[in-house]
Amino acid sequence: MALLLRRTDESDLPIEVIGVRPDRLRGMPPAEIGRFPIRHGNRTVPLAEVFQIKGDPSDERIDFEGNLRNVHRIGAQMSAGRIVVDGCTGWHLAAQMSGGTIEVSGDAGDWVGAEMTNGHVSICGSVGDLVGASYPGSRRGMTNGTILVGGSAGAEIGRSMRRGTIAIGGACGDHAGLGMIAGTILVFGSCGRYPGAEMRRGTIGLFGGGPVPLLPTFRRAGRFRPQFLALIERELRRTGFAGVDWPSGKLDLYHGDLLSLGKGEIWTREGGGLA
Amino acid sequence: MIPIVVDTFAEAFPMTAARAILTADTPAWAETAARTMSGYATSVIACDAEAALERILDPAETPDGRPGCSVLVFAFSRDALEKSLTNRVGQCVMTCPTSACYNGLPVAEKSIVVGGRLRYFGDGWQISKWIGERRYWRIPVMDGEFLCEEAFGTVKGVAGGNLIVMGNDPSRTLAATESAVQAIRARCRDVILPFPGGIARSGSKVGSKYRALRASTNTAFAPMLRGVVTTDLPAEATCAYEIVIDGLTMEAVERATAVGVQTAAGQPGVLGVTAGNYGGNLGPFHIRLLDVLDRYGEPV
Repeated sequence: MALLLRRTDESDLPIEVIGVRPDRLRGMPPAEIGRFPIRHGNRTVPLAEVFQIKGDPSDERIDFEGNLRNVHRIGAQMSAGRIVVDGCTGWHLAAQMSGGTIEVSGDAGDWVGAEMTNGHVSICGSVGDLVGASYPGSRRGMTNGTILVGGSAGAEIGRSMRRGTIAIGGACGDHAGLGMIAGTILVFGSCGRYPGAEMRRGTIGLFGGGPVPLLPTFRRAGRFRPQFLALIERELRRTGFAGVDWPSGKLDLYHGDLLSLGKGEIWTREGGGLA
Repeated sequence: MIPIVVDTFAEAFPMTAARAILTADTPAWAETAARTMSGYATSVIACDAEAALERILDPAETPDGRPGCSVLVFAFSRDALEKSLTNRVGQCVMTCPTSACYNGLPVAEKSIVVGGRLRYFGDGWQISKWIGERRYWRIPVMDGEFLCEEAFGTVKGVAGGNLIVMGNDPSRTLAATESAVQAIRARCRDVILPFPGGIARSGSKVGSKYRALRASTNTAFAPMLRGVVTTDLPAEATCAYEIVIDGLTMEAVERATAVGVQTAAGQPGVLGVTAGNYGGNLGPFHIRLLDVLDRYGEPV
């Protein structure tokens, strides 16, 4: 049976559930779980003060329910197990996660999967800025793993990411893949300004159609049918990323950012054109 | 005359094996890649590996959804297999228009690096992609890019399984052997028949009167030497053809042997079906023809 955490209070203060993760709570007696310290505003409080607790995490699964919009750091630093969130979450979901899976039925705030090193995150709704990004002062964003977002995403997704895959079913904001070192970002809706700015390597697929606002430091290579995309499509479909319009024909390829290393690539739908 | 299945055994030996899945835009190019890659790979007596087309794959069976073929490659060690497979994929698959090459076995500790070596052909413009738990290399080439998986899984397979079809009329004996080859290819998985058309007409024995040679003609099955050497041919036999079977598992080789023996024995002009062995001195696996017929043969 999973450990069920149902939010009971109605406070608007931010709540940080650092350490409330399957690999940490596994084997912990219920009373001890209830006393587990979390941050509520500027106070440290026991978990049972904010959440009704049922079940146990022996099968390495935690379910979150209730109003979770101001509950931050769900699944942060998680290394194994499964977290299922029924609703919307706050910031730093899956930040620095190294394994396991997280599923969210609603939206999530900023910094989803920031600096994650492995694992799988699936969000049915939309997310904020800086998905899979590096924290200020860090050199690298996510270095492995998969982040799937059914809705839209904010700005600077995949900032300085080193490896891994981010797929956005809807639109994304400005500067997708800013300073990207490697990895894959796929966006199936419209895209904000200047995707791939300062990217060194890596792949950005902008499959929403329509004009693409690229920087002038990208160079067009031509139209091709990339084989690797079929493998990614098959893998993402296998992991439940459905309902998007995968491109079936040839795609336009641009290389850049030539102000950086210039070995990155941006693929767009045929005939999309530059903004 | 009812053909006789001789109560003897085929002598097989362990070899390291890998499976390559080759795809291309059309079935014809996929098969071209597979046949080119498995050229000059009939026997490790003088080739770096034994390799052949295993089967044609539907697009639904391939990693990228294109037409494809699977090729099995066998060599004496993982190092030898890695070298052979890398050379063959590099020279015969990467050069083939529209092709891509994927690993067809689970990757475990005992894997070999193929795409990870060929990537240097990209001269710094190669791109790595991790998709799921597997790594792929995208190497820029003249029609786009060549996609090749980094690592290939290996297994300890069984090579040298064989059967010998003997008859009194060369054309009918050959037709019977061809029927056996077709039956094995149609009904058996995880095996290849590495010789031309699946058939060897110059079966060999271990050793030679010439010290430099590891193998020489199998005099016991050479009909023109009857009377001057000890022969294993029936009195009326004027020719013999051999089918060599390499497989990923012992069971796969045994099943293929049973299918081949049963099919050949039912053909006109066949006097007997036997197997090549070397008194137990060549390999540790003994595949007894009558035993595998009992276990895997279909009721007549």
